[in-house]
This record gives sequence, structure tokens and C-alpha cells, in this order.
Amino acid sequence: MSVSIVPTLRVLLPAARIALVGLLGLIAGFFANAAFFPGTSPEQPIAFSHRIHADENEIPCLYCHVQARRSISAGVPSVNKCMGCHNEVATDSPQIRLLTNYWETKEPIPWIKVHDLPDFVHFTHKRHVAADIECQTCHGPVETMDVVSREAPVKMGLCLACHKEEEVEHGTDCWTCHK
Amino acid sequence: MSFMERFVSSWRKFRTPGYYDEFDYAWGMTIDLDRCTGCKACVTACQAENNIPIVGEKALARGREMQWIRIERYWEGEYPNVRLRFIPLLCQHCDAAPCETVCPVSATYHNQDGLNVQLYNRCIGTRSCAVYCPYEVRYFNYYDHHWDAPLEQQLNPDVTVREKGVMEKCTFCVQRIRQAKDHAKDDGQRRIKDGEVQPACVQTCPTEALVFGDRNDPESEVSKSMHDPRAYRVLGELNTLPSVVYLKKVDADAG
Amino acid sequence: MSKVDRREFLKLVGAGGVGAGAGFMLAESLKHPTEFLIPYPVPPEEFSPGIATWYNSVCGMCPAGCGISVRTREGRAKKIEGNPSHPVNQGRLCALGQAGLQVLYNPDRVTAPMLQHGDRGSDAFIQTTWEDGLSSVAEHLATARDSGIYFLSQGVRGHLAMLLELFMGELGSEHLLHHDFAHPHSLYAANSRLFGEDHLPYYDIRNTRYLLSFGADYLNNWLSPVHHSLGFGHSRQGNGATRGRFVQIEPKMSISGVAADEWVPARPGTEGILALGLAHRIVAGSAYAGDDVDDWAAALAPYTADRVAEQSGVPAETIARLADEFAGAEPGLAIGGGAAGDHTNGVDTLVAVNALNYLAGNIGKPGGVVFNPGPVTGGPANKRQANYQAMQDLAENALRGEIDVLIVNNTNPLFTLPRAAGLSEALEAIPLVVSLSSFVDETTAMADVILPSHTYLESWGDDMPQPGVGFSVGAISQPVVSPLYNTRATGDIILGLAGKLGLNQALPWTSMEDCLKDGWRQIFTRGSAETENFDAFWRDVLVSGVWGENRRRTDAIVIDKRVIDDIGVAEPEFSGERDEYPFILHPYLSTAMYDGRGANLPWMQELPDPMSSIVYGSWVEINPTSAGEMGLEDGDLVRITSEHGSIEAPVLIFPAIMPDVVAMPIGQGHDALGRYARNRGANPIQILAPITASASGSLAASATRVSVSATGRRAAPVKTGGVSRQLGRDIVRSTGGDATPDGHDARLNSIPIKVKSV
Repeated sequence: MSVSIVPTLRVLLPAARIALVGLLGLIAGFFANAAFFPGTSPEQPIAFSHRIHADENEIPCLYCHVQARRSISAGVPSVNKCMGCHNEVATDSPQIRLLTNYWETKEPIPWIKVHDLPDFVHFTHKRHVAADIECQTCHGPVETMDVVSREAPVKMGLCLACHKEEEVEHGTDCWTCHK
Repeated sequence: MSFMERFVSSWRKFRTPGYYDEFDYAWGMTIDLDRCTGCKACVTACQAENNIPIVGEKALARGREMQWIRIERYWEGEYPNVRLRFIPLLCQHCDAAPCETVCPVSATYHNQDGLNVQLYNRCIGTRSCAVYCPYEVRYFNYYDHHWDAPLEQQLNPDVTVREKGVMEKCTFCVQRIRQAKDHAKDDGQRRIKDGEVQPACVQTCPTEALVFGDRNDPESEVSKSMHDPRAYRVLGELNTLPSVVYLKKVDADAG
Repeated sequence: MSKVDRREFLKLVGAGGVGAGAGFMLAESLKHPTEFLIPYPVPPEEFSPGIATWYNSVCGMCPAGCGISVRTREGRAKKIEGNPSHPVNQGRLCALGQAGLQVLYNPDRVTAPMLQHGDRGSDAFIQTTWEDGLSSVAEHLATARDSGIYFLSQGVRGHLAMLLELFMGELGSEHLLHHDFAHPHSLYAANSRLFGEDHLPYYDIRNTRYLLSFGADYLNNWLSPVHHSLGFGHSRQGNGATRGRFVQIEPKMSISGVAADEWVPARPGTEGILALGLAHRIVAGSAYAGDDVDDWAAALAPYTADRVAEQSGVPAETIARLADEFAGAEPGLAIGGGAAGDHTNGVDTLVAVNALNYLAGNIGKPGGVVFNPGPVTGGPANKRQANYQAMQDLAENALRGEIDVLIVNNTNPLFTLPRAAGLSEALEAIPLVVSLSSFVDETTAMADVILPSHTYLESWGDDMPQPGVGFSVGAISQPVVSPLYNTRATGDIILGLAGKLGLNQALPWTSMEDCLKDGWRQIFTRGSAETENFDAFWRDVLVSGVWGENRRRTDAIVIDKRVIDDIGVAEPEFSGERDEYPFILHPYLSTAMYDGRGANLPWMQELPDPMSSIVYGSWVEINPTSAGEMGLEDGDLVRITSEHGSIEAPVLIFPAIMPDVVAMPIGQGHDALGRYARNRGANPIQILAPITASASGSLAASATRVSVSATGRRAAPVKTGGVSRQLGRDIVRSTGGDATPDGHDARLNSIPIKVKSV
């Protein structure tokens, strides 16, 4: 007379089915989030289009993002930089009216950061601009974007791949980038 | 070479002290014990520069101090023939560092500048490196730290703020070295000049007891003072090859 | 497989839904929180984001007046360094100076004008506006009697001091007092008596070969510790072949005592007698050959080696040797201060120390005592400093109802004066107490109105360091950040009050910056500056942080015969009888807290005291033999009682203190001043006797006798660091001396019989 485990397992079958479906649901939900809500392209307070400014009007990157050449952060243009043109240009457009409102109330525009590095990373725009690296290398084809989206995964692999390929001096030493 | 031979030769190279054949810059420091008065300006300067948290009375009562450079004091003799000795102790950036050999995740290693690197991201907090360090200059974050507002406004943006579970220690103010290199690159791709970069402790020392510089440069102040007849290395007999050289205190005769 | 019925199906759908939801939320939680990129509406001119901007200013943490350079990022102060161009500190800075950032960003700052809403001292402050605050105070000032207006400020120099003088002058009141606990009244008095000068000379430690210090903790907090440390370092190992020798004479080893080659314990209060003993030997041994040698010999006749040895406890051979060494050093320097000046004979003691310099020929020479030119501009440094006598007069005047308004500016006499001064009761008798302080310390807690000042990192100001460095130096203190709160610069508060009182004629400036520029215009027109116009000059001074004039003094010194005839040091007097109070209390300024001002800075609370390595508390240092006799162990809580009160503190067995002296650091024992300072430790100043140095009226802080009794409780203080003896580990190595071949004196390295950690 043998004792079988199968009857015990049979009792647990409904619970196991529920658990399995739950787990599949978890995985599905996780990837659904990644697929449909990746957060790489957040909605900005003003619908600024790089395509119109950088492509159609051929404004160079460094005209607005002034600090990129001399500082660790590229920065975002100050409101008065936008007003420099938009005092006259396209003043009727609803987006420009939003901009003018910010200017007149002396409020800074709360842009949402698309390319965000963690605080423990030391990334200096100055050195990379000085090395003649095109902005598009990391930021993607920004001049084609109506809404800025994060094309490249801003993760260590991106940095390391380029540092290795370009044989940057001490580029693979951890303390070059980690603070 | 076979895989095995390649592996063994790499491993030997890795385990040989100073696994760079030569350092690019070999940062070193001398501490003149005849000048040091134990004033602790270096301790506070380091705290300000490196976002060192205040751990509080309870943690200190449990011996969980957090000072990347500390001044040890040793009494000698009895009243009235009594002396007190001060000695600043900081990470010695040993070229044959015991801590580097034990880390299971390689969160600490020796870089091309002769510095003992501590990577907070890799560290999993086994604390073996602190046990292996003969100078006891490694400090563990037992707590998540908190700054009463607005004290956090003072935090240095060039230095990570560490969280619970990682090991930390003196970095010879690598953020300053990094900035000096950046500066030197801007200034015509030159090398860093002697005295251009000074860690916070060296910069503030009121008696000029601390000297920092490139040991590879024979003209640098630190190279010259390392050849002072008074030079020695603390616990030198352990052969950890520290980058910090101490100059013996001079006991003048009484009369 | 059993069938999936409807119920099962619905359960599965539910599970799947919940799972999907959970997975979704999991992915959400792994994302970075949203970060914003905030531009400027109009970018500032002073800085670029990501690049640090440095401002030169003057440190305000102690009276030394070191120059600082402050690193700021995006308008926030990040690090204070010494200003390399400033001759006082030459790029270096002490621990307390580094901690200035925690004064600026302290969570317990007063953020707006306050009115006391409840009883005095009840901490029921409510916010008010500057308009209301200034108007209310101005009204009181207008209706008060001229002689009833008192202004009690921390020691200030430069144009703020001048502004205060003008203001009080216009109000018709003579009662402008500066009060710093550590102000060396006796030193000023001694210098005045012997050299006829009202400002201190420059003690050239850097170039001296032999420093004889009578109680002056010159490396820790006497006068200008960073400058002295620079000099010490140079004299030790920066001078080529010669190494300066440093001798420290004091009853308890201080930081300077640790650094000294020789520590000579002398009975408290006998330092002056000892100095005259050395002087006696110098004159008697014909090492001095001046014209007035006979006058000196006559005056010094009573101070024979035997008598002095008996009084001071220093052996006669040591006296002779020290005298010979000092006289033979070319150059030597004798300094005195700290506890040596804080006795009833304090002024005479420091005159004796000065006399030593005179007799050894160190006056006016590099490496000796060098006279400073007078301050170029700004208010008087010493004249207004209120000694203990003056503070007692203030208290008595208050009790007599003679004070209508007391304005207090960033000084804390309720903490830095003994209880016996009666200041607490005196304050109660004053109808209006106004405080201009940035923190609610013990004194400000008793105020009716607080008109809070900016911290020094937010203020315009200037400073001419005292003592000078042998030539005229001036530095401008400028704001390094925008003001954090609704506070104002002290000078602007004064100008505001002046405006309300219609005093604009005499104080015509719109702001402190304006007043400064006006004052510095006069410096510019002295002609020693090489720039074309004032604006360029002002900019140059701001950029470099310091201005100097290479005008040194070369006058000879002649000492009046009467002064020589009067030379003499009486035995010190103490409060309390020896049988009832067997110990002499030696309170000392601690490295981290100074006079208590460092107690609300977390960095300073966590800074281990150099000699004891104790943090976050107070302690009392007792000689091992004395402790053994009383059966006391490290960490026992004892009561320290004087004739004027008692406090409790844990015992620290301390090998470097005389058996009948106990020492306590000053700085803890606050019951106000914020979360880091409150209810921690004990304040030894409280129980000091109201006994003064006879010739200067300053508090004889080292003249109080106390008894020490066990309470039976323990309160072991928190210490950092390891065992306090090397135990043969050879971590600190030394060389030279009467040494064994490996450089050690076995006797000096002994393990004590009772191994208790110190």
C-alpha cells in the first residue's frame, strides 16, 4: 500500500492556479507599464518643440544651452533668453502666451528633466563638449523631436561603452565618474 | 597560452602589490608630528568638505564614530613627567592595502593615481574591509543620516551623500583632484602643478603639518619631505606600503 | 485537471487583475522621482550654475579676525577656507572657523523680529514686523533717560564699533559696553602700564627661538591662535637648522602645553612670582646691562630662587635654568595670559612677564615683542570692554532702577558671568531688554524684543585685527549668500533705529554698506593705496579680501622708573578656605566650544576634545593621585562646590594636572541656545567667585576654591578613539632627547600601574 502525494496536491490546485495567474498578471502589468508609460517623454509645461527651433530655425544647441561648454551642467536657457526672440516672434501662439505669462510674473518655467543622472554620478558636459562629441550622441536626434524623449538609456553601460571604445584616459576608472 | 595559464598570470598580476606598473600621479601625504598640535581643524574641514554626517551621542557611545580623519592621543609617563602625543590618522591609501584584498565585490581597489578607491554603489556592507584595515580608518554607515533643515544646504554637491549600509573613508578629497585635473586640461592639457590641489585637511592645517602632492614628481614638496631623516610609516612593519608618511616628533632635551 | 467553473474563473480574473495592478505599481515605484530643471528668469551675473563662486570675508567666530574665503555654489555657502592673502591666517583656519557654516544654516536661528508675549523667559515669542519692532524700541529709547540707555555688545571693531559709538553718543549715553568672556583685560592693563599703549603688541612667535609661555594657550585660543600656530609650525620645522624651543608654565597642561618641549607645573597664581624669579636671576647674573639695571636689581631683590621655588612649587634649579636659557636665546619671547592673568594678581603677573622680555632684550625685535601701529580706523578695541567690575556696576545700576533700556548684541553674559554677579536679578529690574542676537541664548531668552541680526556670513562689515601683526591690516567682511531669513545686519538695525529717532544728521548712511564705503574712502585718501579711484580700490579690497599698509614701528622703549620700582607680584588670593575647599578650580576655554558659542553647532558637539577625546558633554579633570585618595574612578559623577554654588560633572582621571587643581572646560551647560546645546553638561563659570584682578577689575576666573564630592552615581562621558596609551605599539614615534637607541625614553612610555583609560 503506497501513500501518494497527488491527492494533497490536487487540493492545492485551485490556489496554485490563482497564484500562477497572479504572477503572470504581475509580469504583464510590469511590462505594460514599461511599454505604455515609459516616462521617457514627459509632458512639459510649455510644448516647446526642438524641431521648430533647432531644425527649422537652425539655432545651434549651445546658443540656448550656454553652460554646456564651461560647466558640469548644460543647463536650460533662462526665461529672458526665450523672450529675446519671443518678444516679437509668434506672440499670438497660445504656447508663447504661456511663456510670456511666466516672464511677466517672473516665474521660472518648471521643465521636467528627461536626462537625469543619479546624484552619485559626476558627469561634466564641459569635458565632453571639449572632446567634440556631438550632443546627439547621447541625447539622440533632438532636432527631430517635437517633444524631447530619452532615446538612449542613461545608464552606466552607455558611458562605459563609449569610454572603452574611445580609449578615454583613465575612462574606466570608477572614480572618474563616481563621486 | 591556455586559459588556465592566462588566468593564473592575470591573478598574479592582480595580487602583486601596486597592480599598476607605474602610477599616473602617485598621491601621497606627509604629516609632520613635530608641527601637529592636535587642534582638530583638519577634522572639521573634512566634515564640511565631504558631507560627513553627524552620528549623534548614542552612536558614538556605541563606538560608531564617523570621522574620516581623526586625531589619536597617547599619554606617556606619569605626573609630573607626562607627555601627550597627537597623531592624525586617515586612510593611508596603502599600495598593498589589506582592505582591497578582502572585499568580495571589489568595491575597493587601487586606481591609477595610487588612491584607494571606495565605491559606494558596489559596496554591500560586509564590513570585512574595516576589520582588515590595521589603521582602523574605515567607517561604516550604520544609520541613514539626517540633517536638520537647513543644515543640508551646506552639503557639497561634488560628493555623494552616503546612505545606510556602505563603507566610507578618506578619499584624499578626490573631488578636488578631479577638479584640478579638469582645470589642468582646460589650461592647455598640462599636468597638475605641485600645491595646486590640496585636500581640505591639508589646506586648513594652521601649523602646516600636512603636505600633499605627487610622489612621482621628485621636485614636489611631498617627495622631498618623504626623504626627511625623521620619516617613518605608522605600523610600517605590516608592509602595507602606505602613501602617508609621518615625520617623527622631536623630543628636545630638558636643559 | 478539475474543471474551472465560474467561481474559479472569476477568482482567476481577480487574481490576474490584482497581479497586473501590482506589477504596474512595482514598475512605477522603481522609476526615478520626477526631477525638474528650473531656469532663472534672468540669470544672475555673479555665478554660473555648476561653477563655484568664492567670496572673501572675515571670520566672526572669535576675536582673532582671520580672513576667510567662502566657496558658494548656486548661492549656497559650501565651504569656508582661510584667505591666503590675509596676513593673520595666511590661508589657514581653525575648527571653529570651519564650523561657521553651521551658524549660518543653523535650524535654531531667529528668523524674524520677535516679541515676548508671556512672562520674561517663558519662550512665548511671537513674530512681529521690523516696522513694529523698530518703532517700539525707538519709542522706548526716545522716552528713556539718556543715562538710562545701556548697550551691551559682543566685542566689535571696525566701523560697526564706530557706528555704535556714534549712536550712543547721539543718544547722550556713556553706557556703551563690549563684553567678551575671554577678553584679556589684564594683558591690556599690563601693556598699558609698562609700555604706555592701549593696544596689544605683536608677539612674534614665528621668528622666536625660545618661547616661554606663562599660562597663555597661544595655540588654542589666546588672542590669535591660527596665526600663532603658523608661527609655531615655522619655528619648529620651517626655520632651517634651528628648531624653536617652547616652554609652557601652567597648573594644567593645555594644548600649548602638549606641544611644548617642557611643561612646568606651577601653583595657580604664582606665574608672576616665577617670572620675577627668572628676572631676578637675569639681572643678578649680569645678563642685563641697561642703564636702569640698579633700579631693576632693587625692585627684584625679594624674588630669590629659594623664595620663588617655595611659593611656586617649581624647583630652584629649574628656575635658574629657564632664566639662563631665556636670556641666552637670541631672540626669545615671553608671553602670559589665560589662567595666569585670571588671578587677583593678574595684571602684576603680566607686567612681570613683559619685564622679562624687556630684560632679555626682546622688545622691538623680530622674534620678540613688536609694537603695532595704532588701528587705522574704526572704533576702540579695549576701552569699551566691560570688565567684571563694570558688569557688576551694570547689575547694581539696574537694581537701583537706573537702567531704562538695555540693548544686547550677540553677547551672552547670563552664561559667561558667574551667578554671583547677580545679572539674572538685575535683568528683571530693567523695564525693556532688547536683543539683536541671531540665536535665543540665555540672555536673549530674557529679552522683551528680539531684532535679529544677520550672521557674519550675511553681513557687511570690516575688521582691523587686534592684536595686529606688526603692520596695519584691514579686511572687509561681505555677505557670501543672500540673507536666509527676515533678519538685518546689526549696523542696519542701528541705522534703522537712528532713522526712527531722527538722528539722520549724525548717522547719514542708508545702510551698513554705505557706512563702510564712506569709512574706507578715508583709508583710500591716506594715499597709501595705488589705485586711481575709490571704486577701483573698493573692488580690489573686496577681491583680495584684505588691505595692508607696510608701516612698521621702530620706536625705542623707555620704561619709567616708577613703574620699575612698583614691580612686584603679590601672592594670589582665592575665595574659600583650603580646609573646606581643597581644590582650585581651573576653568578653561575648550577647543570646540570656546566660551560657549560653539555649543549649538553639531560639528563642534561631535568634535572630540583633543586631550580627553570626550564628546557631547562636560567633565572635570582630576590628578590620578588625588582621585585615588578620594576613591574616584573615571566616569564617577561628582559634585563640585564653591562658596557660590555647585555643579555636577563626571570625573576624568587626567595625568597632566597638579594634585590640588581640578579643571573643567567652558562651553557646555546651556539651558537655551537651541537643540544641540541645551541641557548638556555643566557650566563652570556659574560657580566662580566674584573676585577680580585688583588692577584691571577683570574676573579672576582661576581664583575660586572648590570641594569635590562623590555623588554615588555614574555618568561616564562618551569618548572616541582607542586606548589612550600606546602600549608598545610604536604608533607615534619620536626622536632626540635623552633617548634609548630607538628614540624612546622607556620611562616616558611606561604603563601606569592602574590601567584606566584616560
